[in-house]
Amino acid sequence: MGVGRRAFVYLLTFWVILTLNFLLPRLLPGDPLAALLDPSSSDYVYDPEVRAALAAYYGLDRPLPEQYGRYLLGILTGDLGRSIRLNRPVAELVVGHLPWTLLLVGTALLFSSALALLTGTESAWRRGSWADRGLVSASILLANVPVYFAGMMLLLLFGARLRWLPLAGGRTPFARYPSALAAALDIGRHLILPALTLTLAMLGAKFLLVRNATVNVLGEDFMLVARAKGLPEGRLKWGHALRNALLPFVAHLAAHAGMAVTGAVFIETLFSYPGMGRLIFESVTARDYPVIQGAFLVVSAVVLTANFLADLINLRLDPRLREGGAVG
Amino acid sequence: MRRLGGEVWFGLILLALCSAVAVLAPVLAPYDPRAFSGQPLERPSRAHPLGTNDVGQDILSELIYGARVSLTVALAAGAGTVLLGLLVGGMAGYAGGWLDQALMRLVDGMLSLPRLPLLILFATFLGSGLPQTIAVISFLFWPTTARVVRAQVQSVRQRGYVRMARQFGASHPYVFLRHILPAIGPLIAYGLVTSAGHAVAMEAGLAFLGLGDPLVKSWGLMMRFALNLPGIFLTDRWLWWLLPPALCVTLLILALALIGIGLEQNLNPRLARRWR
Amino acid sequence: MMLIVQDLRVTFPLDGRMGLRAVDGVSFELAPGTSLGIVGETGAGKTTIARALLGLHPPECVQGSIRLDGRELVGLSEEEWRAIRWRRIALVPQSVGTALDPVYRVGDQIAEPLRYHLGFSPAEAWERSLELARRVGLEPRHLRAYPHQLSGGEKQRALLAMALSCAPDILVLDEPTSGQDMLSRARLLDLLDALCREGGMGLLVISHDLAAVARLTERVAVLYAGQLVEVGPTAEVFQDPRHPYTWGLLRAYPDMSTARDLRGIRGAPPDPANPPPGCRFHPRCTQAIDRCRREKPPLREIGGRWIACHLGGLQTLLRAEGLRKTFSVDGERVEAVREATLEIREGEVVALVGKTGSGKTTLAQILVGLLPPDDGRVVLEGRELTAAKGKERRAMMSRIQLIPQDPFDAVSPRLTAAEIVREPLDIQGIGTPEEREVKVRQALQTVGLPTSPDFLARRAHELSGGQLQRVVLARALVLEPKLIVADEPFSMLDPSEQARVINLLKEIQTERGLALLLISHDLALVRKIADRILVMHRGQIVEEGPGSRIVTRPEHEHTRMLLEAAPRLG
Repeated sequence: MGVGRRAFVYLLTFWVILTLNFLLPRLLPGDPLAALLDPSSSDYVYDPEVRAALAAYYGLDRPLPEQYGRYLLGILTGDLGRSIRLNRPVAELVVGHLPWTLLLVGTALLFSSALALLTGTESAWRRGSWADRGLVSASILLANVPVYFAGMMLLLLFGARLRWLPLAGGRTPFARYPSALAAALDIGRHLILPALTLTLAMLGAKFLLVRNATVNVLGEDFMLVARAKGLPEGRLKWGHALRNALLPFVAHLAAHAGMAVTGAVFIETLFSYPGMGRLIFESVTARDYPVIQGAFLVVSAVVLTANFLADLINLRLDPRLREGGAVG
Repeated sequence: MRRLGGEVWFGLILLALCSAVAVLAPVLAPYDPRAFSGQPLERPSRAHPLGTNDVGQDILSELIYGARVSLTVALAAGAGTVLLGLLVGGMAGYAGGWLDQALMRLVDGMLSLPRLPLLILFATFLGSGLPQTIAVISFLFWPTTARVVRAQVQSVRQRGYVRMARQFGASHPYVFLRHILPAIGPLIAYGLVTSAGHAVAMEAGLAFLGLGDPLVKSWGLMMRFALNLPGIFLTDRWLWWLLPPALCVTLLILALALIGIGLEQNLNPRLARRWR
Repeated sequence: MMLIVQDLRVTFPLDGRMGLRAVDGVSFELAPGTSLGIVGETGAGKTTIARALLGLHPPECVQGSIRLDGRELVGLSEEEWRAIRWRRIALVPQSVGTALDPVYRVGDQIAEPLRYHLGFSPAEAWERSLELARRVGLEPRHLRAYPHQLSGGEKQRALLAMALSCAPDILVLDEPTSGQDMLSRARLLDLLDALCREGGMGLLVISHDLAAVARLTERVAVLYAGQLVEVGPTAEVFQDPRHPYTWGLLRAYPDMSTARDLRGIRGAPPDPANPPPGCRFHPRCTQAIDRCRREKPPLREIGGRWIACHLGGLQTLLRAEGLRKTFSVDGERVEAVREATLEIREGEVVALVGKTGSGKTTLAQILVGLLPPDDGRVVLEGRELTAAKGKERRAMMSRIQLIPQDPFDAVSPRLTAAEIVREPLDIQGIGTPEEREVKVRQALQTVGLPTSPDFLARRAHELSGGQLQRVVLARALVLEPKLIVADEPFSMLDPSEQARVINLLKEIQTERGLALLLISHDLALVRKIADRILVMHRGQIVEEGPGSRIVTRPEHEHTRMLLEAAPRLG
C-alpha cells in the first residue's frame, strides 16, 4: 500500500472515531447529555454560565444531522466544548496537559526501545546461555506485572522511603525558576519515576519481541553467508541481525504506542502527573463529559499518528515494501 | 500434548489456588466483607490479620471475596472474547470470499482503534456495572482472537480430509463441528487463557481508575480506595491495604500468562525449541 | 599441496547427544589451479563439507584435519577463522534466494568484505565491485538494486562476484546450478569455466548435477552417506565407473545423450543418524558379500582410481576371450563365431545386436555353456566355465541361465506350468518339495503370472505366447542366477506385452542386480534398456560401446545400417 493510501485509511479510522465519539452519548439510554441540563437529574449542572455553554455546544434541541455538522465544524475550529468542572474550554485544558504526556511517553518509548534493542540483540546472540534464559524469564515477569503495581513499588521505594524523588506532580508547585536549566532540572526530577515506571512496563514485551525476532533472523541463510564472509562480530550483530530484526520491531511500534498510552493513564493517575491521563481520570471521576470526549479524541489522534509514523519508518527500512519491481 | 515446562505447572497451581479461595470464600473469610466489623484503619491484629479499611471493613475478607470477582471476570470476559472471536473468525475463515473480506475489514478497523481510551469512553457512558465491564472488555479484545482463528480455520479448510467430507455430502455444520473445531481446540484454549489474563488486568485497571463497578469489591477497587487515602505511602498502611490486592492481581495475571506460554509452545514447536 | 583434508568427521547433536555423523572420515586434496568435484545424493554430506572448509560449524562438531598450506584449520578460534574466511577460502552458497541480506543493496554486499577484510574505503570498494560485476556479466544497475529485485540467475552471479571479491585461493561452489533453468545454467557454466582458467584458483564444486561437475572439474570424488566411495579423473569416472554406487548414480542421471530410461538404485539412502554397519552401501549393493556387512572398506588405490570396496569395485561377471566356433553345413565350413571377446559386469545390461545369421545365438549358447567353443574360454565369476566339470560345472551353470528364442521349443508340452518352473530345482536337488513349491510361486509372481491351482496345472499349448515366454522367464529366475542371457525374448510378443516384459526385466534387474545379455535384432527396442551395445556382424563383434554413443555416433558401417533399418514411428 502506498503512502497516500495508508494516510487515507488512517484518516478514515479517525473519522470513525469522531463519529463514535459523537454518537455514543447520544444513543445511550438515560441520555447522559440531556441529564446535564435536566434539573431533576443528579448530573444537573448548577452553574448557569457553564450550562448555557454546554447547551450551545451540544445543541440537543437541534436535529441530529445538524448536531453532527456543528460537532465536526467545532473539531476543525478547535472548539471541543467546555469543562463542567473547571469552567474552561476543553481545548485549553488539552493544550495544557498534552505536552506532559508527550514528554512522559516520548522519554519512556525512547529508553525502553533503546534498552530492548541493545539487550535483546545481545541476548539472542547468546541464546540458550544462563544470561539469556534469565533475561527471558525476567521479561515475561515484567511484561505481565500490571503497570500500576510496578509504579507503586517504585513510588514507595524512591519516593516515600528513600525520599530521593518527589512523590507527585510534574514540577514543584508554585515554583519560580531562575533559569531555563533550573526549570529543566526540576521537571526532570519529577519525570524520573513516572518515566522509569513506564519504561519498565514496556520493556518486558519489547525485549521479548526483539530477542525473538533476532533469533529468527540469526537462523536465516544470509547470516550464515555473512559469517562465511569473515565479517567482524559487531558488523554481524548490529549491521545484519539487528538491522533485520528492526523490521518486525517497528511493525509493532503501533502496538507499542497503544501500550504506552495505556500505561500513561495509569501512571499519571498514580503519580499525579499533570498529563492527559490524569486529566481523563479526574474528568471521569467528576463525570465531566466534554473533557472526557475531548481528551479521548486527542489521545486517539496521537495514537493514530504514531501508527502512521511507524508505517512510514517501516517503508523506509524494508526495501521489499517499496513499489518498484525487478531491475533485471 | 508435549511435556509442559515447570513454569506452566507453577501457573496451574496458582490458578487452582485462586479458584479454591474463590469457591471457598464464605468458609475462609473471617467476616462478611461488607460488614463494618471493626474500627476504621485498624492495624493488623489477630482479629483482623490485614487490618481494616477506611470504613472499618476487614481487608482480608475483602481480599478473599475479591478473588471471586477477578475469576468471574477472567472466565466471563475470556469466554466472551473467545466466543466472539470464534464466531467471526470461524465464519470468515470458513466462508472465504466477500464475507471474509468484509469481516476482516471490520477486524482491522477495530484493531486500529486505541484500546484504553475506547474502553474508558465506553465505561463512562455505558455505566460501570460488572456485566458492562465484562461486555466491553470482550468487545475490545475479540478482534485479535478472530484473526488467529481465521488463519487456522483457513488452513484446516484446505486440507484434503475436509474436502473429502464435503464430497461425501457433509453439511457445513457437520464439517465445522467434526473437523474444524477439534483442529482449533488448542488455539481456543490458548486464546481463552490469554484473554482471561488481559481481562483481569483491564478490570483491575478500570477499577483502579475509578471506572469499575463501585458496588463490587474487586481487587482493583481496593487499590483505588487505598490510594484515595492521602499519604498512604508515608505510613506503612500501604503494606497491608495496597500491597495485598496488587500482589493478588499480579499473581493471577502471571499464572494465566504462564499457562498461556505453555500452551503456546504446544501450538508453536519452533518457538519452544528456541526458547529452551 | 594447497588444501589437504584428512579423515574429516563432522558430527551433529541429536536429542542432546552427539548423534548424527554427517561426514565420516573424508579425505581429499586440492592443488592450486586444479578443480575437484564432490558428487552425491542429497543428504550425503556435501554441504556439510563445504561449510567445514569455512569453519562454519561449532568447533566441537568437527574432528580430523584440514590443512591449508600446512596450517591446521580444525580447532581454530572464531577470530582466527575470520582472517581466513573469504580471503583464502570463499563460498558461493546453494540457497541463492535467501543468501543475500534483503535490506542492503547488492553492490554494498559485494563490497562488504572488501571494506572489512582489505580495508578499502567505500569508494574504492564500490569501484572494485563494479569491476567484479562486469566480470560476471552484471551491470551497475544490478549493483544498485536490492536482492528481491534480481532474478535467480542474477543473484547467482552476484554471489559469485561476492565470492571472488577478495581473490581467494580456493573457491567452493555449493550446488551452483540448482534451481536454475537450462539456459541460465549453461551460461553460468561457461562463466565459471572462463573464470577458473584465468584464476589459478583451486576450485571445489559440490553438486548432484553430474553434467555440471563433468564440465567444470578435472577430478571427482563420489560421496555416499558421509563417506567417499570413489575418486578419480572426472571423465574416466563418468565414462567407466568402478564403484557400484557410482555406476548406479550415473544410470539414474537424466542425460540428453541417451534415450535409455532412468534406473534408480534399489533401496533408499540410509538414515544419517543410524547408518548401516560395515560398508554403508551394502544394503543397496547387488554384489555385497558377508564381509561387506561387517567391515568398512578403506579407500584404496586400484589402477589409477581410489575405490572403497572390498571387492575392488564392480565385479566382472562374465568374460569371454577369443571365442571361435565353426560348423560344418553340407560340407561347407561356416564360421559362426570369430574371435569374440566381451565382458559383462554385475548388474549391467548388455545388448548383442546383429542381423539374423550374424552368429548371435551361437555365441549365446557358448556363453551359457551349452556349446563348447573351438577356441577361447568363458570365465564366469572368475572361474573358467569352459574347463569346469561335474558338480562344479553344474553349480556354475545355475548362475547363468538362458532364455531361448522360441518358448514353445524351450518347454516340454507334457509338463504343467508349475512343473516347468520347478524343473531346474528338481534337477539341482535344491530344497524340500514344499520349499520348491514356494520358490515356484515366488518366481511366477515375480513375472506377473497368477499362482492359482488352475493356472499352475495348465500345459504349454493352453498358454499364450506371452504367457509362455514369462513362464520360461520364471523358470530361468527360479535358480536365482546372476546373469540371464535372453535370445530374442520379445519376438513372440505383441507390442504391449513386449513393453510389459521389458519393464519386468528392468525391475528385476534393478532389484536383484541381475546382469542381462540381451540378444536382439531390434535396435529401437534395445536402446531403451541397454547400458552397452555390442554389434555383431558375420561372427565378429564389429563395434562396442555405451548405448548412448552407439545410437548417436555409430562408427562402423554395419552399425549405421542397422540404425537406419530400425523402425520409427513417423
